[in-house]
Amino acid sequence: MQYSQKVLDHFMKPHNLGKLDTSNAEATEGSPACGDQVSIWLNVNEDTQVIEDIGFLSYGCASNIATASIITDMAKGKTIAEAKAISWKEAAEELDGLPPVKMHCSVLAVDTLRKAIKNYEIAHHLIESDKGSLNKEMILAELAKILYPKVGEDLISLKMVKYASVNEDGLVTIDVEIPKFDQYRENVADEIREHIEKLPGVKKVTINL
Amino acid sequence: MKRIYLNNCLTSQPAPEVIDAMLPYYKEKFHFPENFIQPGTERSRELEEFKAIVAGSINAQPKAVHFTNSGTDANNLAIKGYISANAAKGNHIICSIVDYPDILTNAAYFEESGFEVSYLSCDADGFIDLEELKQELRKDTILVMTTLANHTVGTLQDITEIKKIIDESISNAALFVDACQGYGRVPVDVQQMNVDMLTLSAHKIHGPQGVGALYIKPGISVAPTRHGINRIDPLATGAISIANIAGFAKAVELAFDKFQENVDYIRNLTRYLFESIEKRIPYTMLNGAFCDYRAPHNLNVSFDFIEGEAIMMMLDQYGISVATGSACFSEGLQANYVMMAMGRNHEQSHSSMKFTLSRYNTREEIDYVVDKLEEVVKELRRRSPLYADFIAKQ
Repeated sequence: MQYSQKVLDHFMKPHNLGKLDTSNAEATEGSPACGDQVSIWLNVNEDTQVIEDIGFLSYGCASNIATASIITDMAKGKTIAEAKAISWKEAAEELDGLPPVKMHCSVLAVDTLRKAIKNYEIAHHLIESDKGSLNKEMILAELAKILYPKVGEDLISLKMVKYASVNEDGLVTIDVEIPKFDQYRENVADEIREHIEKLPGVKKVTINL
Repeated sequence: MKRIYLNNCLTSQPAPEVIDAMLPYYKEKFHFPENFIQPGTERSRELEEFKAIVAGSINAQPKAVHFTNSGTDANNLAIKGYISANAAKGNHIICSIVDYPDILTNAAYFEESGFEVSYLSCDADGFIDLEELKQELRKDTILVMTTLANHTVGTLQDITEIKKIIDESISNAALFVDACQGYGRVPVDVQQMNVDMLTLSAHKIHGPQGVGALYIKPGISVAPTRHGINRIDPLATGAISIANIAGFAKAVELAFDKFQENVDYIRNLTRYLFESIEKRIPYTMLNGAFCDYRAPHNLNVSFDFIEGEAIMMMLDQYGISVATGSACFSEGLQANYVMMAMGRNHEQSHSSMKFTLSRYNTREEIDYVVDKLEEVVKELRRRSPLYADFIAKQ
């Protein structure tokens, strides 16, 4: 496995680095425990909804820094509606590809950007904040953000999730099909736990591998 | 740009003398050892000489040493071969949670096949809990496995004491030591340590890749694990590279010729690296024991607020090879298990950097590494939201 030259270029000299002096939205995703965390600040023109300035900080590996750099480049000058539509696959393609095991870095960068936009929309009353109760669709949406590191595709697309349910008490049960000696077994379980536990109303997550 | 190589616990540069010693065995001396005919008997005699050199370096009799195709090969022969020959004596084996993957994956394999395995815990420096060993030893314990120098933090286990504890217990367990990481850097005396089996690897001490050795104490029975034609050793069947064995013997001669001088040189250089890091880079933490209780070539340090794969990649761009305990660089994307076993948190594990030196490194190289490391750490902290939070709170 190898990083593309473009990944290395963005890693060594990232664009849009640093917290903005003036910003009207921000978001932080990831956690130090998983080894990657990205913060993004936006300065959105309130008349045109165009992202006029954007900055990021990243605690993470080379591809984490490179994907945050490229995603901020891609979002700059776009309207929030256009920026929201940027997918993690587009971000990875813009970097001339990422090794499968590093694809999740682009998911984190895109997630952080979308979260910052959402925070802007909530603050400016463009949308209402999440208050819907926990449901199966929310669980599946989170699972669709988790990549199987061996191939760099998400658990839903790969049909690895065999069962997902949530009851009124916030107990979530997820069955995932993964080979017994797969080197990423623990990683996939950790990722699921981390993504699902942060959803509002989740009390307990049971994962059957 | 000349690369600076500080990853000698992964593999080390073969000494030029080693290559010279190997070349004739690829050219005119390509024969297998055989009886009676001239080239075959010459190779047999040379093989015995090489074996005597390797055996001498650990104070063993030559016939107690068996060449294998790698350190991992030797570890598998020791563990599987011993258990296979002694399974009737009991069903329990012991190792520790900080052992080398060769031991841990074998332990898991035997656990899967019905053996009971006790995994000893360790303290904050990676020393295994000897009180726990005393408690875990049972009448049906057949094997205790340990690693001489920890592959991540270089912590040296007290092998003599471990053997004493086994001997004073109700158990008749054999002691197996994976010495691949410590050999050539700390004295290994199989008589004094009184070990039953011990493994060595050539490429960690500037020998060739693809050759290791297993010492078996006389009287200990080990069954073959790979069946096939017996060329030189029924425990290591099939073709074996005499060129590699010749290179191994030369590497041993070079390592032990000026052993103390070599070791002092490396230890001083490692200490210089550590002191320079401490002096010039704030918010760092040493992982593992202090100098005298760790392999002299190993330094492991965590750098707060940043992540190890990024440090490694940036140093790589500056022509420096090091290793990291970061999950982002690990096979299964998991935090380094040795770090976690020593009670480090995820962040400390993800930011841990391993520098392993050799006698080929110089003080000038270390100065360059620390210059670049200081630059890299400063740059990555400038990018880190964790560092920004920390500074904001100050």
